[in-house]
Amino acid sequence: MTTPLFVNDQLAFCEIARKHHVIFYYVGYFSQNIVAAMADAVKLKLEVSGVNGPTRRKLFSSFVEMAQNIIHYSADALTPAEQANNEIRHGSVCISENEGQYSLLCANPISTQVAEDLRQRLETLRGMTMDEIKQAYKESLRADPLEGSKGAGLGFLTMARDSREPLEFEFWPMEQQPDVAMFYLKASI
Amino acid sequence: MENLYIAATPSSPEVNFDFAQHRLSVRGESYPENAAAFYGDIIKSLRDYLALCTDTSITMDIALAYFNSSSTKMLFNIFEALNDAQRAGNKITVNWYHDEEDDTMLEFGQELSDDFTDITFINHAV
Repeated sequence: MTTPLFVNDQLAFCEIARKHHVIFYYVGYFSQNIVAAMADAVKLKLEVSGVNGPTRRKLFSSFVEMAQNIIHYSADALTPAEQANNEIRHGSVCISENEGQYSLLCANPISTQVAEDLRQRLETLRGMTMDEIKQAYKESLRADPLEGSKGAGLGFLTMARDSREPLEFEFWPMEQQPDVAMFYLKASI
Repeated sequence: MENLYIAATPSSPEVNFDFAQHRLSVRGESYPENAAAFYGDIIKSLRDYLALCTDTSITMDIALAYFNSSSTKMLFNIFEALNDAQRAGNKITVNWYHDEEDDTMLEFGQELSDDFTDITFINHAV
């Protein structure tokens, strides 16, 4: 009997996930309830795996920032753009581990206009030392929120502060959607 | 003034403002979807209460295991309100509870106590 195709696909997917030491992966729609449920699982998984407290907190913090960025800013939304509460938007988050070092990766579509702004902000962050990041964090905490921000404009700074390497990012053009790009962001913890 | 109590949810803290006893507390985890919406009314009630206080000893307990970036900003606003009340002649004590391993929480607490120097700030590593 030949194995059905979908089983092969599933096996191939699991094999890739195993090879890259994926400990958590989700792709689909993100709502606050889904994020809270995932947060439970991520927290417990890290605890059971014996990850030390400070690393767990950093991972958890970056995970929540990424997931909530998807809720607030993904260009693929189920809820109307003007709705500010109970938003549901599409994206993915992946946590993987390699010899005690963790990577958090998230992806979501974003309008090319927003992409330009994000690129500038992330490039600036990448050029900063840890001391400069902490200083910028302190200043943003006391400043008025950025225009277009649904949070405090502190999300990237919070992730950068907890990351052992500068945040990495990519924008990939999307076929058939010239005004949308796929945004990838990676934090190393 | 009526006390304010909001039960905890998985992503928002328990808020217990016992205005009659001048004992206020925020406990749990804080990463609501919309921190400005969650904290907006809380901060408004707090300011309304503080405006009625004169020469009063007020204690605020903050025991947050985790808060997201947008909640950070809101905590800052809570401290601003408390600091104003201290300057208006009240005596504000903040008990800041944090995990002993958690440097970020400790640093943020220090940050707040540096900025809002009028408040009596007691750090508790637990």
